[in-house]
Amino acid sequence: MADQADFERDAMQYTRQLYSAAMRMTRNPSDAEDLVQETYLKAYRAYHTFQEGTNLKAWLYRILTNTYINKYRKDSRRPSEVDLGTVEDMYLYRRLGSEESAEAARTTEDRVLDGMVESDVKQAVEELPETFRMPVLLADLEGFSYKEIAEILDIPIGTVMSRLHRGRKAMQKRLWEFAKQRGLLPEDAKRP
Amino acid sequence: MNKDCDGALENLYLYLDSELDAVSSEKIRAHLEQCKGCGPAFDFEGRLKSVVRERLDEDVPDSVVDRVRAALRTESAPDSR
Repeated sequence: MADQADFERDAMQYTRQLYSAAMRMTRNPSDAEDLVQETYLKAYRAYHTFQEGTNLKAWLYRILTNTYINKYRKDSRRPSEVDLGTVEDMYLYRRLGSEESAEAARTTEDRVLDGMVESDVKQAVEELPETFRMPVLLADLEGFSYKEIAEILDIPIGTVMSRLHRGRKAMQKRLWEFAKQRGLLPEDAKRP
Repeated sequence: MNKDCDGALENLYLYLDSELDAVSSEKIRAHLEQCKGCGPAFDFEGRLKSVVRERLDEDVPDSVVDRVRAALRTESAPDSR
């Protein structure tokens, strides 16, 4: 059992991460701010139920996620599937063109990665249906393990893996489109 | 592409997400070092993962931290009950 008096000391170190995740969930600063505050208040009130020595960060994310789903989710009517058609693994990498030399290939890769601007990456993630966005955020932004993500989202590990896989593919497809629009791809790689 | 490549690519994300046990992970690492196909592919996917993480990271405004602290203080003050 955790002591409420220690809550601020223990939990406030995660504000930056929780806010980043809240921004990608709600897609606007005002809702993200409300969501973070509500998460902390709920966590504070329930802190006596937190098992000391277990994963506080994951516990806070579980509260954040549930609060978001119950209160802020506005896109419940948006499709929960993503049409991946023939999207294969390493979608983006496979489309960087077949350069003659390893050096030329590396130059193209650098250009694409360096040219990936913040707004494009954020949009690529925000456009993912929620089912896929959550696992991608928890894995790629927060670095949670599959087991932790399963606990936070209350779904089996196998489901985490398949959603993460599909979410990342959809994200790569979008990032490729952005790279194409920004003229970052070699000529021979621009054709779909 | 050979059997080792198939095995490595199958476990691409498990490897990058550090979800493999030490033995499997080491096996892939050894393969990547000598494979001209898989090495650069894994390298790109790993770099992409870092870039995505960097670009998604958000500075939390001081106002948010202040608001949370104020809310917690109000909540814990004895006369607020």
